[in-house]
Amino acid sequence: MSFKEKSAWVMGAIMLATGLWYAQLVAGAPQAPVMGSLIPYVLAVVVFSIVAQVGLAIASPSEANAPADEREKIVIHRAGHWSGMVLGVLVVAAGANFLHDSNGVMLFHLIIGAIIVSQVAEYLFQIVLFRRGV
Amino acid sequence: MSKRPPITNRVRELREAHGRMSQAALGEAVGVTRHTIIAIEQGRYSPSLETSFRIARLFGVGVEDVFGWEGD
Repeated sequence: MSFKEKSAWVMGAIMLATGLWYAQLVAGAPQAPVMGSLIPYVLAVVVFSIVAQVGLAIASPSEANAPADEREKIVIHRAGHWSGMVLGVLVVAAGANFLHDSNGVMLFHLIIGAIIVSQVAEYLFQIVLFRRGV
Repeated sequence: MSKRPPITNRVRELREAHGRMSQAALGEAVGVTRHTIIAIEQGRYSPSLETSFRIARLFGVGVEDVFGWEGD
């Protein structure tokens, strides 16, 4: 498994786990000030991401420092393109939800959720493309 | 999802004929990762024209001696 695929697995898992935690925080207090759930979430993502990337880099330093080659660039670009579509659909859905119930706090959380889901999708697309070919 | 490209190649055969050159060594010589060489050999990735020429020149053959077209 290449370094970039390992990184996609690890980052996908981190984004999924922290995203579920964020959803749990929001579900517990849906009308609480948004910073109460956003700040702990962002801190968790930053800390876990740094720890994971440092761990991966220590495990294979030469691969960690190497730039993406032509196949990896295609995979990264294509996964980013598809995840952008996921983000667009989910943001439109969040906007439609706002038109329905005019809840600005929930709109904020749904947009953050859309970003999280699209990020998880991007890593999943990368894994699929790395494994199945481009 | 992605279809297998209709391009065949003799990269593994040429690599083994060149003193059993490793996939990592070939990748380093032509500027791609070992995993990309594996993907090329398994037919999961068609390399760029530049990388194709680099591979062919490394083995001292023409591009058409390395890559072929399969199908119509």
